[in-house]
Amino acid sequence: MSDANATVTGVTELTVEDLTRIMRESAGEDESVDLSGDILDSDFTELGYDSLALLETAGRISRDYGVELSDDDLDGIATPREFLTAVNRTLTAAA
Amino acid sequence: MCPNTPPPPGPAPRGVALLFPGQGAQQPLMSAGLYRAHQPFRRLMDEAFEVWGAEGAALRADWLSDSPAVDLDGVRRAQPLLFAVDWALGRMVLDWGVRPAALLGHSVGEVAAATLAGVFTLEEAAGLMAERVAHIESAPAGGMLAVHAAAADMAPYLHADVVVGAVNAPRQVILAGSEAPLAASEARLRAAGFTCRRTRALSPFHSPALAPAAEAALPSLARLPLRAPRLPVVSAYTAGPLTPAEAADPRFWAGQPAAPVLFGPALDTLLCTGELLLLEAGPGQGLTALAKRHPAVGTGRSAALGLLPARARGDASDLHTLRKAVERLLSEGQLAHDPLPLPSPAGAP
Repeated sequence: MSDANATVTGVTELTVEDLTRIMRESAGEDESVDLSGDILDSDFTELGYDSLALLETAGRISRDYGVELSDDDLDGIATPREFLTAVNRTLTAAA
Repeated sequence: MCPNTPPPPGPAPRGVALLFPGQGAQQPLMSAGLYRAHQPFRRLMDEAFEVWGAEGAALRADWLSDSPAVDLDGVRRAQPLLFAVDWALGRMVLDWGVRPAALLGHSVGEVAAATLAGVFTLEEAAGLMAERVAHIESAPAGGMLAVHAAAADMAPYLHADVVVGAVNAPRQVILAGSEAPLAASEARLRAAGFTCRRTRALSPFHSPALAPAAEAALPSLARLPLRAPRLPVVSAYTAGPLTPAEAADPRFWAGQPAAPVLFGPALDTLLCTGELLLLEAGPGQGLTALAKRHPAVGTGRSAALGLLPARARGDASDLHTLRKAVERLLSEGQLAHDPLPLPSPAGAP
């Protein structure tokens, strides 16, 4: 949490653990999300993440990792696996 | 927090509550795969189209078309099609013998809930929807903006023409307003770091801009024999149980397109009544996603799932998703018999 506002430089891969942590951080304290178990191929809506919540998660990743995903990119993404693939494609291209 | 302690878990199966989505949930080909593959649902959709007459045939054609003649996000298509899909799915579940503990609809979803509860007949609801569409179409254009924020944080971004149109969750509100002022609020919100997303609406639903349209619907509603609900309905406009007096009040129904939707508080009320299996009876899984974040669902006391997939593809995924929901109902003892004649299609996603 200490460098949550600093851009993580030199990172070339977002892991499922990173994504899970950021998804948790993007939920409010008055909310409850269950991200235990293997979430890679779960639909985001089944995890409680609608398009706005996914956008909030993507916004945090953009801020922390310097990766931009457009609304159109996000519209085609249904699962954490697809999300990681899209982010990591961009990270690899930028490295 | 519930005002009263919810009943302790008992041996009886938890109740079923149906959730009906509203404006913004519409998708091209929503439930079309089910319409093609599942006769009981097809008959119910056709029953809804028939009561609209010639307009119903046009609705059906645009719904199933790759290139609809009328924009599916506009009030003329989105509202009646959402009503029809919500109503037909809800009716289908009732026909299976499920006796829901409660119905809760978002926006136009509340009209579907009230129709299933017997406040309106299907014909009366169709008349109400047709009038609503005509009046709202002649209202000023506008839109809706989802914001990842609490309603209390929105005060600096509101004014006479931009209001909170819906409170969906502790951190999700929908602003509504005419196009130019809404765009100005959106720019200021984005500059302040709020995550925003336009919802699929071309009218400023649930804002005072629709007050004249709401008023215009009153005379026709006043002529209807509005009946007391025969099934419990939690109203998203009061966040409380729909009372017989509210159900019989034409102003209650006429005013809804101009009044804020309090879905989040209504969901709190619903989930305080006991342990529930929430079934989303409508396109997408937007309300399911909201419910999944509710502490009552996150802790496993209650659960939420959709009867339709999150993304409409008009194919076998509709039947596959319905099959999963039926299996859940069977395993929880909510159904005496499997109502689906077909096994899960091989190779379905």
